[in-house]
Amino acid sequence: MSGARDATAHGAAAGARAGATGSSGRTVLEATGLSVAYGGNTALALERLEVREGEVVGVVGANGAGKSTLVNAIAGWSRGTPRVAGAVRLDGRELSSLPAHLRARAGLLLVPEGKLVFGEMTVDENLTLPGGVHVAPGRRYYDRESVFELFPRLRERRGHLGAQLSGGERQMLGIGRALMLGPRVLMLDEPSIGLAPRLVSTVLRTMRTLASDGLSVLLVEQNVRAAIEVVDRLVLLERGRVVLEGPAAEMRDDPRIAQAYLGTGHET
Amino acid sequence: MNLLQQFVNGVVLGHAYALVAIGWTVLLGVARLVNFGHGQMYMLGAFMTWWALAGLGLPYPLAIAVAMAVGALVGLVLQRVMLQATMQQNLVSIMIMTLGFGYVLHGAAALVFGSTGQIMDTPLSTREITFGDTWLTWQDAAIVVVAIAVFVVLELTLERTRVGRLVRMVAEDPKLAELAGVNVRSVYLGVFAFEGAAVALAAAMVGPRTPILTSMGFEEVIMTFVVVVLGGIGSVWGSYLAGLALGLFTAFFGALVSPAYTTAAAFAVLIAVLVLRPGGLAARAR
Repeated sequence: MSGARDATAHGAAAGARAGATGSSGRTVLEATGLSVAYGGNTALALERLEVREGEVVGVVGANGAGKSTLVNAIAGWSRGTPRVAGAVRLDGRELSSLPAHLRARAGLLLVPEGKLVFGEMTVDENLTLPGGVHVAPGRRYYDRESVFELFPRLRERRGHLGAQLSGGERQMLGIGRALMLGPRVLMLDEPSIGLAPRLVSTVLRTMRTLASDGLSVLLVEQNVRAAIEVVDRLVLLERGRVVLEGPAAEMRDDPRIAQAYLGTGHET
Repeated sequence: MNLLQQFVNGVVLGHAYALVAIGWTVLLGVARLVNFGHGQMYMLGAFMTWWALAGLGLPYPLAIAVAMAVGALVGLVLQRVMLQATMQQNLVSIMIMTLGFGYVLHGAAALVFGSTGQIMDTPLSTREITFGDTWLTWQDAAIVVVAIAVFVVLELTLERTRVGRLVRMVAEDPKLAELAGVNVRSVYLGVFAFEGAAVALAAAMVGPRTPILTSMGFEEVIMTFVVVVLGGIGSVWGSYLAGLALGLFTAFFGALVSPAYTTAAAFAVLIAVLVLRPGGLAARAR
């Protein structure tokens, strides 16, 4: 960890942002001063991250860089017991004090890494809405039928148990369940893990389609090669900090991105 | 010996076991929680029914409703107190807290109701059905009917309704359920209210079979534990079958061998089943 290097990185990020030509929509998601610690170890120290309307932002970085920690903290969720501080705003509304299920209902949806469907329940049953969800204006709530239109494969498998699904089908089901809650921001944590390359591009292209409908997407990916094809903006995390940020087109040629590309991770 | 009589006794006893265990089955299946205060909540349900019948002079159905309402309230209070430990799935804390809660209930009940046994007579328990030299009371018949009805309604609720699906989501993965927008705390509270109401219903139905004592809780929780574990933890049909099997076993063992050793024998069977089928009777072959 070197302060000088960080400073350079932030300079580069600022420069890149100034030159950004990407989405000009208004800010939907804004996280500021977000910090996460496990025990005494700081896993994330983020100054600011924003996602604009209809924008797909990719978060990349090596293993342990804090990518999952970032989206989990935004969702107010974790399978562990971290200490989280900082502000999360959705359409200007402060959500930091809300528990995870209320953030989900407010439109901040996370499709987590690893176990993301209910294995002992069928596809149909997985697509069950909780009670007490009121439809808010300006959000699109998919019903089961439109989820099946988006992912015809799920319709074919609707009677199967979650545990019987392939990795790709689980991603689709996780995304489908999130869409039913009327997301403003959809956060995907490593959707490409364990998927065949063709499926990866299917899932990622779907994100692009959803974004063109006005949905904002925050995509955590280790597979930078696949991610960079669909994202508007890329954020590079290292040791829990943003070291580089900019439009996908410009980031493609950055040596630090190239490093992450090749998977020559320089940390644990 | 009248074999048919033993069979009838076993069926009635089995349905009684299953009915008493149902709240705990759901508790284990859904919240992955235990409630060692279950037996004392049974005792409280029995005494509430007795008090409503004998003390307030309410009709039997209304007395059952009073007992169930009190049971649900006790379940809610217990779960509200333990919520922190529940959310962290801190099983050891929960075991000790529920065990302690049971003793508090026992003490409170002994203060209010005294330590002498009471007979809980209902309009059904004093009338008999006889065929040949075999007999049972209408109360016994009602236990069988109510137990079957509760199991069917519960199974349909869990499998077919939205509430049932949300409950199963929390059962499988409470963390993931949060991301699906489910209010996990209220599901836990609801499950404990159900546990309290269900065990009170069981007490109101089964209580009239024997004199009721404020100290009878522990024996109940032990047999419930056998039923739930034997059935396959959290399996609704498994615990119904296990209750029935245990009832028949107890009746025939008591008649053919000796009633004094039935609990010991039941545990011997439990251990044997768990060795042969670690997941309980309802476990699918893997």
